[in-house]
Amino acid sequence: MNKLQNFTKGFIKENPLFVTVLGMCPSLAVTTSLEKALGMGMGVFFVLVLSNFIVSLVMSNPKIAELVRPVRIPVYIVIIATLVTIVEMLMHAFLYDLYKSLGVFIPLIVVNCIILGRAEAFASENKPLDSVLDGMGMALGFTGAIVLISLFREILGAGTITIWGNLVLNLNFIFNFLHIKPIDLFVQPAGAFLSFGLILATLTAIGNSFKPKSIVKGATANE
Amino acid sequence: MSGGIKSGLVLLVLGIISGLLLASVNAWTDPYIKEIELQEQYDALKEFYFDPTDPNYATYQVSDLYDLTKLDVNEGSISTILVLKDKTSGTLESLAYVASGNGYNGAVTMLIVVDSDLTVRGYKILTQNENPPIQEDFINYDYNVSAITDLSQFDAIAHATFTSNAVLACFNAVSERAANDFGGGLNE
Repeated sequence: MNKLQNFTKGFIKENPLFVTVLGMCPSLAVTTSLEKALGMGMGVFFVLVLSNFIVSLVMSNPKIAELVRPVRIPVYIVIIATLVTIVEMLMHAFLYDLYKSLGVFIPLIVVNCIILGRAEAFASENKPLDSVLDGMGMALGFTGAIVLISLFREILGAGTITIWGNLVLNLNFIFNFLHIKPIDLFVQPAGAFLSFGLILATLTAIGNSFKPKSIVKGATANE
Repeated sequence: MSGGIKSGLVLLVLGIISGLLLASVNAWTDPYIKEIELQEQYDALKEFYFDPTDPNYATYQVSDLYDLTKLDVNEGSISTILVLKDKTSGTLESLAYVASGNGYNGAVTMLIVVDSDLTVRGYKILTQNENPPIQEDFINYDYNVSAITDLSQFDAIAHATFTSNAVLACFNAVSERAANDFGGGLNE
């Protein structure tokens, strides 16, 4: 796999949220507004890229790798937890409103399966540059996915798009034109599952439409 | 050297590196965080003395009305007390306590402002990490506390025992010392 493929595979082909369905908990919880989704995306980008780089750097040295391998999972967790704590402190100091709105979901990045998954499945077996590209691609794919869910939920649930801070696009004129109100359910926890299911089903249907019919039929028969 | 000792040493070294890195980032960000927290306390305090709908609200400061002193006490659940004294007579008018209690996901910090007649001028949740459905309910909830010496009418939130207890702990901590503070402890 070349460097471009390493970078782009996380966008669609191996999208962490819509294909491998990892990191669901924070994704569903913080997608009530675009701002929160972007904030979470930034945090995950920082942690994923750096953890991939550090893990790859450690594991690419045969002597250090031999020492680390028996305790590699605790080592990955310490690296990831350190990076997440740094993100938390930086957000607290410089992006306080975002820090408050993301709340408990910032420290929960530690247990995001995408990060540990990429460290174990990719970074530990590849070179640092490839691992950084993989981390960037996966983080951008994750961010794109939660941005899509947050747009869907915020527009339908609140009739707005909160881009950043006070920069809010009010789309209520569309609802007024249609003589309906935003559906509050979409910004509630139940709406998160509903939105995710609807988007996933739509993307799967679109994906299947590009495949030859024999493959789709075969897959259905196997189920 | 056995494998177990080697693994232990690897984790020890990693822990030390991680600790040093976090300590240096903390040393860098801590002054910014403290400044933000103090500003948030002042902003919360302002809401109890000025009308937020006033067009000039942003320009007002509590320090325009009172002599404002910050005391870092760190006694029990109370970390800070903001002392508000009359500018001319120096009479103690109000005390604003920053108190914290243990909620479901860690500390809930509140600002509770008590006037010299021991009535509660106002209270506000400053920081919390409660779960989202509870979070939205309890921040602007009316806990029905009007006098700091009488918490018998405290109104807890249904289905949020931990969070309600955290808020009640904040009020209790202030209740235990407010009378003493006004009676002489801070009234000098």
